[in-house]
Amino acid sequence: MGPEGTCFECGVFPAKLIFPPDYPLSPPKMQFTCEMFHPNIYSDGRVCISILHAPGDDPMGYETSAERWSPVQSVEKILLSVVSMLAEPNDESSANVDAAKMWRDDREQFNKIAERLVRKTLNLPYP
Amino acid sequence: MENHQSEDTHIKPCEYDPNVNQDELIMAQEKQIAEEIKANTSMIGSLQGLGSLAKEYSNDPVYSSKVRTLLPKFSNVRRTRPDGNCFLRGFIFAYLEYCIHHRDELTRFKKYLEGSKEELFEMGFPKFTTEDFHDMFMEVVNDLEGSGSVGRVEAVCNDAGTSDYLVVYLRLLISAHLQKNAEFFSFFIEGGRTVEEFCKQEVEPMYRECDHLHIVALTAAIGVGVRVMYLDRGEGAAVVSHDFPEDKEPIIHLLYRPGHYDILYKA
Repeated sequence: MGPEGTCFECGVFPAKLIFPPDYPLSPPKMQFTCEMFHPNIYSDGRVCISILHAPGDDPMGYETSAERWSPVQSVEKILLSVVSMLAEPNDESSANVDAAKMWRDDREQFNKIAERLVRKTLNLPYP
Repeated sequence: MENHQSEDTHIKPCEYDPNVNQDELIMAQEKQIAEEIKANTSMIGSLQGLGSLAKEYSNDPVYSSKVRTLLPKFSNVRRTRPDGNCFLRGFIFAYLEYCIHHRDELTRFKKYLEGSKEELFEMGFPKFTTEDFHDMFMEVVNDLEGSGSVGRVEAVCNDAGTSDYLVVYLRLLISAHLQKNAEFFSFFIEGGRTVEEFCKQEVEPMYRECDHLHIVALTAAIGVGVRVMYLDRGEGAAVVSHDFPEDKEPIIHLLYRPGHYDILYKA
């Protein structure tokens, strides 16, 4: 669910979680199965946030204070982090450079695209 | 001429492909190395004579003379898998093995474990997941209380599902001890991190290597004496040893070589 009061509000975004054989020692992967446009989501839907990475494997060079995976983290915590990521993209470590640039420089256009994606997930007509 | 051409196609300069994420390639390679280690080394190896260690260094004058000084004191060694969990895995194996022969220590440890759960909850560790690791540990200890044998400890510590859960719980105990005594430990943490950040990055995640701080915290938390023998290229002919905590008679002996811990047995 897109968080209230943000450009993704009301959207229902399906995603899959892929668990490794040594879960919960290693984190699951998460991938949206619908179209997404967001600085921290790759164009193929893969989610790129710090909690999905153990410290040490560091494709994006997250800040040291960022929340990381550990075996006591839970799926609930991941989903909460993803919802807050939708509300507040981290444009420092971007998986989708175009989205990050637009989020920074042309918020109006970004919101328009987000609204189109939201309508799409709800099966509403979209431009 | 033809020969030349085929050579050209063979030796390609290393090209940088901007469409490939280099970090992901490195991670994939690291993962492959880890898989190889997993396939080739048991988590806790079988008991070997110390001669195997001497043999390993027969061509290395510094190490072999140091190993010679260990020979009268120690008889056997058990190798652990070098996967970043070696200290914890070696520790818990050696400790449970000790408990098999010292039933009163097993009873004491069980009591400590039982109480540790509430303490972790109070410190804010998530109940739902922490409980899993705790329950597994209790199950192992209860099982050893009933049908304890060294063979049983070997089986438990080599079963990935069980062994890794024990390691995770030890990591939580270390993290709790460090955070409870954060004021003291903050002086020893490098990189301008808080104790909590250090625990989240270096203690709680699997496969992160244990350092001095981890050992100090674990031995203090459980109240078990560990002696580490340091085998490295440092000066002097003797192998330097260190006891954790300093004032406690060690019941576990570990061999440290840069980056790795194995278990030692007294002669």
